[in-house]
Parts: sequence; structure tokens; C-alpha cells
Amino acid sequence: MSDLFNGLIGGSAAALMVIVVLGLSALGFYMARSRAMASGNGDRRNLHSLPNYYGWNAAMLTAVPALGVLVIWLLAQPMMIDNAVFKTIPDSAIAEGSSRGLVMSDVRRLADGLDVIIQRGVMDAEQVTTLDAGTTDLRATLAAEGVALGSAVEQPVLDAAQMYRAQSSTGRFWMVALVTVIALAGFVLSLRVTNADFRARNMVEKGILTLLILSASIAILTTVGIVLSMLFESINFFRLHSWTDFFFGSTWAPNFRGDSDLSILPLLWGTLYISIIALLVAVPIGLFSAIYLSEYAGPKLRSAAKPLLEILAGIPTIVYGLFALLTVGPALVNIFGRGEQGLLGVEWMSGATSVLTAGLVMGIMLIPFVSSLSDDIINAVPQAMRDGSLGLGATHSETIRQVVLPAALPGIVGAILLAASRAIGETMIVVLGAGAIAKISANPLEAMTTITTRIVSQLTGDTNFASPETLVAFALGLTLFVLTLGLNVIALYIVRKYREQYD
Amino acid sequence: MKDLMAERTVDTQKLKISARNVQVYYGDTHAIKDVNVDIEDKTVTAFIGPSGCGKSTFLRCINRMNDTIDVCRVQGDIMIDGEDIYDKRVDPVQLRAKVGMVFQKPNPFPKSIYDNVAYGPRIHGLARNKADLDDIVERALRRGAIWNEVKDRLDAPGTGLSGGQQQRLCIARAVATEPEVLLMDEPCSALDPIATAQVEELIDELRQNYSVVIVTHSMQQAARVSQKTAFFHLGNLVEYGETGTIFTNPTDPRTESYITGRIG
Repeated sequence: MSDLFNGLIGGSAAALMVIVVLGLSALGFYMARSRAMASGNGDRRNLHSLPNYYGWNAAMLTAVPALGVLVIWLLAQPMMIDNAVFKTIPDSAIAEGSSRGLVMSDVRRLADGLDVIIQRGVMDAEQVTTLDAGTTDLRATLAAEGVALGSAVEQPVLDAAQMYRAQSSTGRFWMVALVTVIALAGFVLSLRVTNADFRARNMVEKGILTLLILSASIAILTTVGIVLSMLFESINFFRLHSWTDFFFGSTWAPNFRGDSDLSILPLLWGTLYISIIALLVAVPIGLFSAIYLSEYAGPKLRSAAKPLLEILAGIPTIVYGLFALLTVGPALVNIFGRGEQGLLGVEWMSGATSVLTAGLVMGIMLIPFVSSLSDDIINAVPQAMRDGSLGLGATHSETIRQVVLPAALPGIVGAILLAASRAIGETMIVVLGAGAIAKISANPLEAMTTITTRIVSQLTGDTNFASPETLVAFALGLTLFVLTLGLNVIALYIVRKYREQYD
Repeated sequence: MKDLMAERTVDTQKLKISARNVQVYYGDTHAIKDVNVDIEDKTVTAFIGPSGCGKSTFLRCINRMNDTIDVCRVQGDIMIDGEDIYDKRVDPVQLRAKVGMVFQKPNPFPKSIYDNVAYGPRIHGLARNKADLDDIVERALRRGAIWNEVKDRLDAPGTGLSGGQQQRLCIARAVATEPEVLLMDEPCSALDPIATAQVEELIDELRQNYSVVIVTHSMQQAARVSQKTAFFHLGNLVEYGETGTIFTNPTDPRTESYITGRIG
């Protein structure tokens, strides 16, 4: 029965079910609507809700539970089948230097490959179920169809793959059956309750509320999930490496022989140093441009300049990184380096990558961020404040300095803190502009490195998730997360406190 | 109300502000049409009229606050002490120090009570030293009839006061710069009756030193506090004269309709 069924719809069962359920719910919509109209004797004034509400109610009851079950099933089925098949693989089938996980991925690939050759008509379903690893060169057959296998197929693997296929097709069958039953149940139920007195409007309202709550909880749960995954990996790291060295050591020198020095302090120093330089660039320029745009610029100039600034905010950070590497860095070397040929005739800077390079470019990146936030905040200061000051005979700039800016100050501080947390988390500019040497130095012309660049370098290339050199990335990431989260919380607190003042 | 008017002393004062053929345009809208008015020194002059009749606009012409609105154009002459305030040589910033303004909604700055009042004197350099400034602030707060309520908490934020106190603080703030004319744009519209009574009493005292021009929607208030009243309607100055005459024996039928409640 289930074989026949699989032959009919194959692997696209899920897509087909979605279409069927949506079709049924569309049918439900029209039927419920006309049923409602009929029960109100054709006059919509006799109904509790507008006819469309009855339709939406039916469509909702038909589609939502069925599709929900479908999604859960699609997520759970592979996991359960994996578990079941996993146990049947004998230890003898696992080659030297391999692992159960690797064999399992071979099994999955083989099972998919067998489906492919049935679809393309190389073999029929009967032939495939009676295959024997000894007599057929499956690897060659599959390679001819574009499915690459890691090694020659052995009998236990083939058995496991057959079992995998069998269980998958059974699972698909039950999935289709269950989803169909639920959709039909919803369909019938919603049509049965549809009559003139049924409060369809309130039901639809509840449905919308559920949708909104669901979206909000997904966003929050994802955040929790991210934090937890970082936390668990960090705990693994601290099992392998002493936390005193991580937080209080002074050297960052990972090597893959073990006994690495993995201390966050040099990285934290680099991060903060670059961020401070970036803020020194971004805050005055951003704030002054915000003051000009919000207080002095005419409407025409403003409508042209604001989008231009926002373009600056839309440039991908990797492009800023290129700018740092190719333009700003060499320009700085021309000024501070190259000995006699340099502009200052000094030899302070040897390479294009330095704290100053990265800081300057990051500052440029943050200008639109600071300026557009500050602009909004300055505009939120009530006109009555300005009138009051102007009415006392203050000039425009006195008014801005002594009334508008103090009134906007909490909001501006919030904007600066938000910019700071972006600077701390910024990656691409520092990867290209700051260099890769972890050290604690006060000289801004030296190359240094930051937390984010080290996370990138520890996790790219060949990684072994059991070594502290890799796991340290999660501890670094968690520290960074805590740092920026703290800044964001303070910033939002300040901004919110400020908002209350004028509402 | 009859008694009040009987008691009203009307002295002939010297001319402070005189407006001739004033026209104001907001873009294409002709907001003020051909207004001529003479405002006397040490007198309270009330502007009354229905909403949108241009009384606030005209008030804002007197200290050139309309300059801060881009689309607004003013034509005609407004003279203060015989000097044309729209002359090129007049700095509107200096003018506003001389012609103070109190707004409809109390708008204390987000600063301490002391700094609110000291704001104007500091900008214009009126105080020689700290003690002098303290003195100016105290005098202004006393004139604003709010000194007793705030003298123990001059460092508290001005925004923390009640609505009536805030408005009296704003009046004290305006008085602190020693203006010659005080413009008040519906100063009591956001206040309760008790605060209103306090502010009205204050206005009557301010008359000793200043020429006060007040815009109000309350005809009782105009009758209570002013010596002269001007009635605006649709951008025109319909009638201007002694408050007692305007309220008891108006010459223009529109004025009569407005004060008896038939229009507006």
C-alpha cells in the first residue's frame, strides 16, 4: 500500500500536501461564506460577522492545524529515522579512522541515490529493493547519475540504506494520512459551526492574535537559543582551558600543539582602542551634521542630504574594509611612515594595517548611524523649547547649545552607546584594516587585533570542535555578546527615560 | 462685571507700539489684512477673536517671532518707540530681548528653576557677578509671584513644577531680561481657574512696569485684565478701543455678535 503510494507521489509529498491543504482551505473559505449567507437568509445584516469572516474562519481552521502538524512532522521524521537506523549499523561496518556519524551520512547519501536511480528509470523499485552489494557496483552506477559516494558500498551500509528508505516511505505515508485527516476535520468542523449566530469575527481575531504571539516568541526564543548554544560551547571551553588565563592572562598565542595562551585581554584592548578611535571620529562629525541638518538646513537641502547620508549607512562593511586596506592605510603610511620619503619624514608606521586605519574607517561607517539617530532626537525636542529661547532674545546657536542639546542629551548619549556597541561588534573593517597581531600597546600606528577577527580566524579552515583553540571562539563570542548587550541595555534605558519626558 | 468696569481707571499713556497697514502672508494665505493699531505703554491690551482670526499671528509680528517660520511674510510698518522693528538695521535677536514673550503652553527649559530664570540675563550679560545674578533671579521670581513656592528648591528641574507654577516660571523668565513689552499668547489656556486667577493678578501687577499685550479666548479674562481691547475677525482688526466700551457698547455689529456669543 505505502509502496504504491510512494510510487505515485514520491519525495514531493510535503509540497503536494501543502497544495492540497491550501486548496481545501480556499474551498472552505467559499463554502463557509455562502453557508453563512444562506443561514442569514441572504442578508448580511442578519449575520453576527461579515460573510468574509466566516470564510476566513473556515480557511484558518482547515489550513493552520494541518500545516502545523506537517511542519512538525517534517522536522521530527528525519531525526527519528536517523536514530533508528543509527543503532542497526554494526561496529564492523565502521572503518578504521572513520566514525559512526560519517557512516551515517554515507547511508543517507546512498538512500537518496537509490531514489534518484528509480526516478530516472535506471532500475525499477523491485530491482532496487533486492540489490546486493556483492554483485552490483553501486558506486559506479550512482556516479553515472551524478551521486558521489565516499567509498565502495558494503552490505551493512546498503542494508541500512534500504531500511532508511523503507522507514522514510512509511513515514511519508502516515504524514500524508494524518495531515489530510486533520485538514478535513478542520474543514468539516468549521462548516458545521458556521451559522448566523456564530462569532466568526472574534475567532478570526483570536487567530490573528495567535499569529502575532507566535512571531514574537520565535524572535525571543531564537535569541535564547543563540545565547544557550554559545553558553554550552563556552562551558566546554572552560573545561579544557583555565578561566584565569582566559580573563586575566596577557598573551594570545594559539597553536595546535596544545598548551596555547588564550587570553582575551590583548583582544579586548584592541577592540576597545579601535572603537574609541572610531567614536572620536564618528561622534563629533555625526552630531554636527545632525545639528546642521535638523536646525539649519532648508527643506530642499535636507531632503537631498538625508538620503545621501543613508546611502553611506547602506554600504556593506566589507567595502569599508577595502577602503581601509587600499586607500586609508597607504595614505597613513605616506604620512607617518616611509622614513625620508614620507610626508613627516618619520618611520613610525611600517604597514598599512593599524589601529588608526581601522578606527578612522569604522568612524566613517558610524557617522550616518550617529547622525540619523541624533537628527531624530533633535527633531523630537518640542518647538516650544526653541520658541521659548528665541523669545528671550537668544540667537539660534545659543538656543541649540543651551536648550536643544541639553534637552536632547540623554537621547544623544543613547545613540552614541548604540554606535559604540556596533563598533565593538564590527568585523570586516578590522579584519582588513587592523592587522592580526594580538598585543597591548598604546601606539595607534601599530597593527592590533580584535575579538571579532580572532573569532573568524579560529573558526575558519580545518576546525576540530574538541580543542580549546577552536572552542575559545565561543567564549570570545559570549564575552562580546555580554559587552554589547550591556551597552544596548544602558542605551535603551537612557533613550526610553528621555522619551517619557515629552510624552 | 459691571462693578469691575466702573472701577477701571483709564489713564492716557504714551504710545509704545504703533502698527500701520500690516499685512501677513503664510505662503498664499493672507492671514492679516491691513491692521492699524496703537498700543500704549503701561497698559494691558487684549486681543480677542475667534480661532484662526490672526490675533496670535499679529502678536508674533511684534517681536518678529514670525521670522522663524519660513513661509511667513510681513509687510507694513510696526514701530516700537518710533523705531521700525522691520528695518534692516534692527537685529531681531536684540528686539526679542526688549519684547518678551510668554507662550500658550508653559515651556520651561529642561534645566533647574534657577537656570531657567537666569537664562536670559546670562545670554545678555545683565549680571556683573554671581551675587548680582542671584538678585536678578530672586527679583524676577518675586515678580512672577512664584518666589515663595520655589525659593527652597531653586535647583529642582523647572519641568517638575505644576502647570500653573510652570507658567508663572515662564513669566518670571521673560521678566528677568527686563523687557519693555510683554507679549502673552493665551497664557492661561492650559491652566485651571486658580492658576488662572494667580496669573491674571500677576498681569495686573506687571502693568506697573510694562506694556502687556495678551491674546485670549476668554472674554471674561479680557474684561478682567485689560484696559484696551482689539477684536480680530478673519484677519481684520474689526474694532479697537477701551475695554469697557468694547464690552458694553461696541460700534461694529460683528463685535457685538462675538461678545454676546452669536459668532465665534
